[in-house]
Amino acid sequence: MVFEISKGAFVVDEMRNVSIKIGEVIEEEEEWAPMGPTPMPGIATLRDWDFFLLKRYKPFYAPYCDMCCLCTMGKCDLTGNKRGACGIDLAAQTARIVAIACSIGVSAHAGHARHMLHDIEHVLGKKLDEIPVDLGPEIAEVAPLTQLITGIKPRTLADLDRALKYVEEEIVQVVDSIHTGQEGSYLDYESKALHLGMLDSLAKEIADIAQICAFGLPKGEDNQPLIEVGMGVLDKSKAVIIVIGHHAPPAINIADYIEENGLEDEVELGGICCTANDMTRYYQKAKIVSALGRQLKVIRAGIADVLVIDEQCIRADIMYHAKKLGTPVICTNEKAMHALPDMSKEDPDEIVKYLLNGAPGVVILDPLKVGEVAVKVALARRKKRGDELKPTLSDEEFEKYVKSCTQCGNCTIACPQGIRIGEAMKAAEKGDTKLLEEKWDVCITCGRCEQVCPKNIPIIDVMNYAAWDRIINEKGKIRRARGPVRDSEIRNVGAPLVLGTIPGIIAVIGCGNYPNGTKDAYTIVDEFASRNYIVVTTGCMAFDAALYKDEEGRTVYEKYHDRFDAGGVINIGSCVSNAHIHDAAIKVARIFAKRNIRANYEEIADYILNRVGACGVAWGAMSQKAASIATGFNRLGVPAVVGPHGSKYRRAFLGRPYRDEDWMVYDVRTGEKVKIEPAPQDLLVAAETIEEALPLIAKLCFRPNDTDRGRSIKLTHYIDLSLKYLGKMPDDWHLFVRTESDLPLAKKEELLKILEDEHGWKIDWEKKKIVEGPMRKYYAGFNPTNVKRLFEEGFMTL
Amino acid sequence: MPKAFEQPFDAANIPGPKMATLLEKGKPVANMIKKAKRPLLIVGPDLTDAMFERVLKFAEKGIQIVATGSAIKRFIDAGYKGNNVRYAVLHELTQFLVDPEWKGFDGQGNYDLVLMLGTIYYHGSQMFAAIKNFAPHIRAISIDRYYHPNATMSFGNLWKKEDAYLKLLDEILAEL
Repeated sequence: MVFEISKGAFVVDEMRNVSIKIGEVIEEEEEWAPMGPTPMPGIATLRDWDFFLLKRYKPFYAPYCDMCCLCTMGKCDLTGNKRGACGIDLAAQTARIVAIACSIGVSAHAGHARHMLHDIEHVLGKKLDEIPVDLGPEIAEVAPLTQLITGIKPRTLADLDRALKYVEEEIVQVVDSIHTGQEGSYLDYESKALHLGMLDSLAKEIADIAQICAFGLPKGEDNQPLIEVGMGVLDKSKAVIIVIGHHAPPAINIADYIEENGLEDEVELGGICCTANDMTRYYQKAKIVSALGRQLKVIRAGIADVLVIDEQCIRADIMYHAKKLGTPVICTNEKAMHALPDMSKEDPDEIVKYLLNGAPGVVILDPLKVGEVAVKVALARRKKRGDELKPTLSDEEFEKYVKSCTQCGNCTIACPQGIRIGEAMKAAEKGDTKLLEEKWDVCITCGRCEQVCPKNIPIIDVMNYAAWDRIINEKGKIRRARGPVRDSEIRNVGAPLVLGTIPGIIAVIGCGNYPNGTKDAYTIVDEFASRNYIVVTTGCMAFDAALYKDEEGRTVYEKYHDRFDAGGVINIGSCVSNAHIHDAAIKVARIFAKRNIRANYEEIADYILNRVGACGVAWGAMSQKAASIATGFNRLGVPAVVGPHGSKYRRAFLGRPYRDEDWMVYDVRTGEKVKIEPAPQDLLVAAETIEEALPLIAKLCFRPNDTDRGRSIKLTHYIDLSLKYLGKMPDDWHLFVRTESDLPLAKKEELLKILEDEHGWKIDWEKKKIVEGPMRKYYAGFNPTNVKRLFEEGFMTL
Repeated sequence: MPKAFEQPFDAANIPGPKMATLLEKGKPVANMIKKAKRPLLIVGPDLTDAMFERVLKFAEKGIQIVATGSAIKRFIDAGYKGNNVRYAVLHELTQFLVDPEWKGFDGQGNYDLVLMLGTIYYHGSQMFAAIKNFAPHIRAISIDRYYHPNATMSFGNLWKKEDAYLKLLDEILAEL
């Protein structure tokens, strides 16, 4: 029950035997900005915005399975968009599966955030309202997503807790809608998926800001130190602990234990996946061993003396492999306990003894005990082995295995990449291991090949053996993750971004399920940073981009600065740090355009879609988290390009440029409806090859509000990248030309000629001006919105 | 159910009860092309040189081709000058294909027969799935060296038997 008292006195008189309990005192929030129209939106609140997006970017369905197997009336065959026993058709069922994927993704981030808040209270011994949300003097706009979605400007972690409770309730409501006999429209399932994507972005922000404020992680400072990354960076003369997952508090406790006991010279702390990223934000001596795609390569290489896992993206078969090698596993999170005994309440020395007696692993759910146990076990195990890192196979074993391959091809049809493993084995049998070594990087180490090999060849070990030189020499550098973008940086880049003179923000994010190896991550980062885009990186792609060097021996993190500015390469952080990329776009609207971001989602998403040339690139997107991350970017008006495996997500958002009615916007300045160019053409699209992806990414940075100078720069890169990687001019470049000053200066005459000859445009050659042809004219005052309400009522500015 | 069945190249890529009929001859494909009002050949980047030689012959016979991924570069490098080869992002192209209102590359209307080879296998498979389930106006045929279960009809897994595969392509070309 809520009993609300406004102003005045509240007198309790003549009451006996009545106890009054006060659960929570909610202080009145300072009126920092007018409340916008949609605080804590429910499922239906932003449906109109979603339906606008879904009309322009019609969901494209490529079902991975034509059946539904979710209830006992099935299995139902939905092939050809038939309806199943419950009445659902294949389009709605596919959208429902997308909503399920996004609900898993957002639950992972929200669960992580909730766990983070619990761990912070436990580890620091403080209540959440005692920990301020303080991101330093250069970040006044703290938690823009929290402001935008909930209307709360958090002052302490307790405010983040309030926002997280909202997320948790909304997830439950959406997951309810997935039950049999609820939603029947693919459009509404997509709207729900977009809602989940938005909640995902909020949950990520909560998790990351909480850990930044609680553990003192960097608060957006640039010029971050370089961290070592790669399978060859660990010093095997030390005891080696490898942490895997996405929840840093146990790893932080290990770092604390190492430092407090002066063990830096004796213990090496390395990590895989996002825990590695977050751990190095806390402890600079930690190293990043690999991204997700190499997890099994690392485990099977036997590098670790102890493996410590927390949550998400951990191999489900980690115990199977670790047991074979005799590497003990410490599970630190209730979400991944692998049937091991829970010894959280035991004395750390007892747990150490238990593990050193040969137990395969243990569960320790108290992060404060993990450090001592992991370090002591690693030190003890270190004493029993040599210094050198050697392949797990001997020369003789390698030869025996490659000879035993019968070229049956089972491995190839089991391989997600279709790698011709047999061919490589055959070459190795003849003494040429180059092919195996090459394929080592393309291999994502899923292990399916080993499951089907009739000769039981340990293919991962065979490949590790062939690539051993590469493994031990894999030594890259990455900037320590810096977290949020500072307000001062947004002040500097807001105008150039909106005007288009900084051609875009490229967010290189997500997992490592690449179609053709890790080098593509480097290529994407280098290509766009060298062209003065702002490149931000997170997650696995941030690591993989750091593994390669230019001719001068520099990684992209050494070659480019890490300011949020033109030509920067900024390691923002782990998966949850993706929220800071949303935040940067929101802060452009807040700081540059003075828009009110408080509970004003639709207006800000509309602003970003029309004005902020940002594009996500998740070249190896694999997980459900990647699905919800991308969907969250999409609802906020940011498109994303995924690799070819991304089409297995079943749904894309693809525009149809030939449908004029999909590309109409309101011009607030003139009061007219205007047909715009397809900018951006898609919200979620898979490219087939890296050569195709690069110009496509540049194309998705066009925005209708680009100035002529900005458009000219963007066109320059789009055309140039297409020529460089596809060997031809893009077919649709003319759609983005509104006036002759949109044309790249160096090619102006050449392009005017093409417009005249191939597209029938009229050109005044004396003045070198376009007389007739473009779908719309350019004028500097163009003020587009897709939202009728905003067109009629105006924008909320401060 | 298909009359003849083959294992998908991605072993677990079993979409459901409807899977592609196995094609073991090239001539029926040629007949389908000849009977089609508006055939379209999608050519992806996963091509051997010998495959591309045949693709050029298809181009020379005037069939409308769309090169996806980086396959367009093969045509440019080969100096192909015909105007019947276009470039498209396969994902975007398939979105257009499932829309009966799309007017095609020449403004004359959507296509009734789509042939595909050389696409990145799993990605191409997804595009076949979209056409199978949401484009009843299109018959989709895989003439790739892998069995594509989501196509209407498909060649079998011939990735280890290039000669046999090329023979099938040659059979089609001979009839056109």
